[in-house]
Amino acid sequence: MMQTQSTHRARGRLAKDLATVVFGIGVLLGLAFPFIWVVLISFRPDREIFTRTFRLFTTVTLDNYYALLENSPFGAYLKNSIIICSISTIAAITISLIAAYGFSRNRNFKGRGLLLLLVVCTQLFPYVILITPLYSMFLKLGLIDNPISLVVSYTAMNLPFAIYLLLGYLDTIPKDLDEAAKLDGASTIQIIVKVILPIAWPGVVTVAVNAFVSAWDEFLFALTLMTSDEKKTVPVGLAGFFGEYTTQWNLVMTASVISTLPTLILFMFLQRKLVSDLAAGAVKL
Amino acid sequence: MTVLASGRGQSMGRKTGGYLPPSLEPYALVLPAILVLAFFFAGPALYNIALSFQNVSLFDLGQSNEWVGFANFVAVLTGGGLAAAFFNTAVMQTLITVVLRLLFGLGLAILLNADVFKRWQLGWLVRSLVLIPFVTPPVVAVAAWKWLLDPRYGAVNQLLLSLGLIERGIPFLSRTSTVWAAVDAMLIWRELPFVVITFLAALQSIPKELKESARIDGASEFQIHTLIVLPMLKPVIAIVALLTTIWTFNNFVYVWLATRGGPGDYTQVLATKMYTVSFVDYRVGEGAAIGVLMSIIMFIFAFGYLAVLSRKGKEAA
Repeated sequence: MMQTQSTHRARGRLAKDLATVVFGIGVLLGLAFPFIWVVLISFRPDREIFTRTFRLFTTVTLDNYYALLENSPFGAYLKNSIIICSISTIAAITISLIAAYGFSRNRNFKGRGLLLLLVVCTQLFPYVILITPLYSMFLKLGLIDNPISLVVSYTAMNLPFAIYLLLGYLDTIPKDLDEAAKLDGASTIQIIVKVILPIAWPGVVTVAVNAFVSAWDEFLFALTLMTSDEKKTVPVGLAGFFGEYTTQWNLVMTASVISTLPTLILFMFLQRKLVSDLAAGAVKL
Repeated sequence: MTVLASGRGQSMGRKTGGYLPPSLEPYALVLPAILVLAFFFAGPALYNIALSFQNVSLFDLGQSNEWVGFANFVAVLTGGGLAAAFFNTAVMQTLITVVLRLLFGLGLAILLNADVFKRWQLGWLVRSLVLIPFVTPPVVAVAAWKWLLDPRYGAVNQLLLSLGLIERGIPFLSRTSTVWAAVDAMLIWRELPFVVITFLAALQSIPKELKESARIDGASEFQIHTLIVLPMLKPVIAIVALLTTIWTFNNFVYVWLATRGGPGDYTQVLATKMYTVSFVDYRVGEGAAIGVLMSIIMFIFAFGYLAVLSRKGKEAA
């Protein structure tokens, strides 16, 4: 008797578990569908895309990828984006690590609280209102249509969150380590590079990925500050492919897949860590 | 060199590269960041205020322009379309999507927090799938949805046609009855994962014993979630609501790429209106005035929200 009851209960639990998993994964697959659909279309030959009936799987071809990279300026957009995002990421990490060290190791300097508050407030700032004045400022400096303007913008855009996240990391590193290095005669910059960086690198990785991805996704500044076609970044170039009148959807879908690859790869490899860091960082703000 | 104020430290300080008096070192460290932020945020924000009081077109930016007092604000406020753009921004783009994101986000987070996903080692799969919209750049999200909603070849219309629910494809993005639903769908889809992963992290920090003991006391799953879990999530929900509201209120990219504010001006939001006035109509002064109004609205909202929160916090304490 007892035994049948407990097997009943176990079976009941298994059924409940199974239902939860099937339902959960089903919802998530539905959520992911728009992107999965983009991927499927990008491998589909022209004549099978523009049909009136819905089919999930068809012939697979790489034609769209060849067409995109050979006959369109997309390759140039990719190169622009990779260069601009990499440089601005490195700049953001360098500046934010030094600043976070300053905030973390000096608790009482005058203005610390106010400066940190201002850094946090910039997170809530409407970027869109900055675009006109920045356009004017870069115009005066002769930097319109020059990638430097985007590098500066993306570095600045990523600094507040980077400083905040790294500050949290550095606060957990014991001060004794710096002081030992200081006794050995290391300068502050040497301490940051040789003592702090090797310990804080998980935080630095999160900051780097976040900075790269938000620069990679950015649209408004790239749209406004880069005026010639060959200097466009990926998002603006891609948006140009789906203009209002003629749209080659197969190429748009292919370009979409390639545009998503860097962020997809970075997040799939580092997902657990990134998710917990970003969630914690956002809530702490 | 700062921390070591002992005699030995000071005597060593000089030769090891401390060029600054120790009291100035913190400022030297934070200076580069502050300078970049001042150039990018503070300078332009003040400059934008100045522009909003000048008669200036895109072509005479950077020259000295005529000061016109509140003329730009008057033009913007009486020129028509601003009230509609404000309503679109506050309600159609922000309120609806924030509420739906919080509801879906909470539901999904509670569902995915079920311990069976951990026991069956499905954490990796769950996280990967949740993150897919999040890793999709907004431009790609709009492209994907425009294609899904295409009147002739889009999957949504194909599905509705094959089910016999409609007789010809619906042009979702050019019809006033459907366009906001379509834009909101794109926005919610792309921005939902942030809410889910934040709530999921908060749920995982709730001690299991709390739920277990409630269960032993005979509480139902529904009671456990409304009486124990929700109150504990309140602070996180409050912050996520604030952040997503501010980010969405200022958002430009979804409406711009999905509809350009159309059909007509039907989906114009403040951000796209500001951009259009400045960079399409070249009336930079008026565009700047819209920007100033947007900042004031968000400023009042954020402070009001935080004031209410802190008062509630005090009452609770």
